[in-house]
Amino acid sequence: MLRNTRARWGALSQLLHWLVAALIAVQVALGLVGVALPLSMAKLATLARHKSLGITILALVLIRLLWRLSQPAPALPANLKPYERRLARLTHASLYGLLIALPLTGWIMSSARGFPVSWFNLLQLPNLVTRSVPLYHAMVRVHIALAVALGVILALHVAAAIKHHFVLKDDTLRRMLPGTASARAEASETIKE
Amino acid sequence: MSPARIARLMIPWLALRTAAIAHATPGPVYTLIGAHSTLTYTFTQAGAANQGRFKKFTVRFDPDAKRLAVRIDMRSFDTGDAQRNSILGGRDFFDVARYPQARFTATRLERTSSGYLATGPLTLRGVTRTVAVPFTWRIVETDGRRVGLLEGSTVLERLEFGVGQGEWRATEWLGNAVTVRFALRMAPVAR
Repeated sequence: MLRNTRARWGALSQLLHWLVAALIAVQVALGLVGVALPLSMAKLATLARHKSLGITILALVLIRLLWRLSQPAPALPANLKPYERRLARLTHASLYGLLIALPLTGWIMSSARGFPVSWFNLLQLPNLVTRSVPLYHAMVRVHIALAVALGVILALHVAAAIKHHFVLKDDTLRRMLPGTASARAEASETIKE
Repeated sequence: MSPARIARLMIPWLALRTAAIAHATPGPVYTLIGAHSTLTYTFTQAGAANQGRFKKFTVRFDPDAKRLAVRIDMRSFDTGDAQRNSILGGRDFFDVARYPQARFTATRLERTSSGYLATGPLTLRGVTRTVAVPFTWRIVETDGRRVGLLEGSTVLERLEFGVGQGEWRATEWLGNAVTVRFALRMAPVAR
């Protein structure tokens, strides 16, 4: 139930997937609003929440990655062409990479600016680098570039999920959804065995 | 004259002279050696400790007369970030154009178990409040000269002095408590 099977994602993987998906949506909004606001208490609060959520996402993604590596992931659908398999693997690897790199570059940005990061006003995190204005400006550019890349990869990820569900009509999306252990998934697993 | 008689005659004279010295010439007054002294403050911004410092200030400490006077050039503050400095120096915070100087003058100096407690008015951003500042005082030999080390810290509430106007009065993302720390190296000077 909690663990993955060859046919579908377990409960913990599903929970982490959708939790991170929801947090990314909030995170993008906080980031855009935070940058747009003039220097004010609202800007301070918005960016502080953006940093706290970013650290949360980093922790959740690392947990998810460890969990994934600790057990087999469901097999890719059998109907994929070789280039689609490569693309799927590349997309998933990029998502993990970006979801780790984005919080880290944000953290480095804050450290370089000389504004230490606090996790929800509860825990102050150490600065990753010493204060450096050039490094701060460089990290701003990298952070934005990575955010744009995440947008592109996410669009591809979502488009693929929609294609699998509505066009190919397979279980790729369903096996990341709770309570829909379809007969087909079980059947295909049985056939493979 | 026997040595014993000389000694008997001298004792009252020595005693008188010692008393006269104690009254007429008390110990030295100390002023700041700027290069080795720091005056910093720590505040909480978005849940994290941030630091600022003052680069120009004067201190005069007279241990015998129990006087301590501090003058701070408010325009000399620095938090290490240009954007933050520009807003901190402005009307909503230090308002350095209108209030270029902060002053603390101890009107009472008490000995405590660990040092001294200086109590007196602190004028900051045009607001005067009585504050109590604990500190330690040591005379040490450094680079072949005798200097005084005056060290301590105190916690101030920024809103008491109007540091943070309008929306900046809220304390969730910018804490009210500000810890002021000082480590001052002081040289004896003629009165």
